[in-house]
Amino acid sequence: MATRTPSEQTNEEAQQGMEVGREACIEVSDLNLYYGSFLAVQDVNMRIERFKATALIGASGCGKSTFLRSLNRMHELVPGARAEGRVTLDGDDIYAANIDPVSIRRKVGMVFQAPNPFPTMSIYDNVAAGLKLNTRRIKKGDLDTVVERSLRGANLWDEVKNRLGKSGSGLSGGQQQRLCIARAIAVEPEVLLMDEPASALDPISTLAIEDLVQELKQDYTIVIVTHNMQQASRASDTTGFFNIEAAGEPGHLVEMGPTEKIFTNPDNKATEDYVSGRFG
Amino acid sequence: MRVGLQEELDQLEASLQEEGELVRRALRGSLNALGQQDEELADEVIAFDDEVDRCYFGIETNIQSLLARQAPAAQDLRLVLAILHDNLHLERMADYCVTVAKLTKLVHDAPQDATLTEALEDMGTRAEEMIQAALDSFASRDVESAESLVDMDELIDAANRRVVHQILSISADPDLREWGLRMLLVSRCLERIGDHAVDIGEQTAFLVSGQFREFTDASH
Repeated sequence: MATRTPSEQTNEEAQQGMEVGREACIEVSDLNLYYGSFLAVQDVNMRIERFKATALIGASGCGKSTFLRSLNRMHELVPGARAEGRVTLDGDDIYAANIDPVSIRRKVGMVFQAPNPFPTMSIYDNVAAGLKLNTRRIKKGDLDTVVERSLRGANLWDEVKNRLGKSGSGLSGGQQQRLCIARAIAVEPEVLLMDEPASALDPISTLAIEDLVQELKQDYTIVIVTHNMQQASRASDTTGFFNIEAAGEPGHLVEMGPTEKIFTNPDNKATEDYVSGRFG
Repeated sequence: MRVGLQEELDQLEASLQEEGELVRRALRGSLNALGQQDEELADEVIAFDDEVDRCYFGIETNIQSLLARQAPAAQDLRLVLAILHDNLHLERMADYCVTVAKLTKLVHDAPQDATLTEALEDMGTRAEEMIQAALDSFASRDVESAESLVDMDELIDAANRRVVHQILSISADPDLREWGLRMLLVSRCLERIGDHAVDIGEQTAFLVSGQFREFTDASH
């Protein structure tokens, strides 16, 4: 990848507050997202850096979750939903005609707002499920290794190692969410998308998830949507602020930059008002 | 809108201005005590420092509480940080006023040099103007006005150097020697008050721009 000097940044990059030269994992260009004829998210340009935690913040309905889902083509699972523009993962267009969306979702995993372990499956099988579904054949010994590694990666191993055969739904909410993270990382994705991963959790479980994000970004690129601005400021390296001009208008990316800058000295007035809580 | 946060920020700013007014009164009192060699007034200035300290601790406590509960961000955060610094600068200025009062007491019955006393009064008046300018520019978020404190400070620095020369010239006189040595420290206190006023100006620039910068380098 060619490295340019800051003076060679394009206006777009400068608006995004991103340093040119750092390796991008995901690059989004001129992205528009539709539900039928309704334009939900308009003209997003963004670079998401590898092995960093990127937080997306903004009021409800501003399109940040829709945008997040477009990064692994889950957006298009909604009937009538479609994307225009370009999203690349390691330089490859994930919306190219010859790309299988399932292969993208394996590389770009998702953790949802409410913990959703498979209720009839054991803790072990919950973690192994993703791997079994995505891999043709895997030896039992290898599966054991992956399950342990994934549970350790999600900081859950010590709490469940003696009850791997028990149902995942018997765990606490925070443990269930970490189980879902273990399931997501079992298939060794490059990117983990997290949509409000702690909004249903108590403060201690929330901090456990935030600590986990710091550990996970050593191995994965993290993109996290959150309504909790404290969480964004604590857990992320980069923050993007989405906004809508008015109800019914499309959401758009207002400003993106280092989290410290966004929360201390943002460039845009709308960002300033939002992070200061001066909205509505 | 975060009405509660805004009210607390407004209250903090009002308290800072009030503290500034107390410091200006302390400075005026210390200058009057110095010029009139008024030991009683010097004692009042020393006791008055408790009022400044009360104001200082109030602001400090309220900032601690606000940070813990309100988690301010962006300009709100910068305002709180700037007030935190300014609060300390004002408290230090008041301490210099106490030092001037204590030095006054030490030589309240010694003969003075009228020219030197007048020079110190001029320095003190400039320091008073700087405190007012620093607080006004902070309240109005006026960076240009804040930067003008550098020019005002250079005048105090120059006056300080002149005072040193004058003290050297009277040092051969045994009747004036001790008084002169005490006045050397008074001059230094007034010069430092000017420096703190410039520091408040720098906080105003930080508040407005988000970037902290020294108005001048250490050579000034």
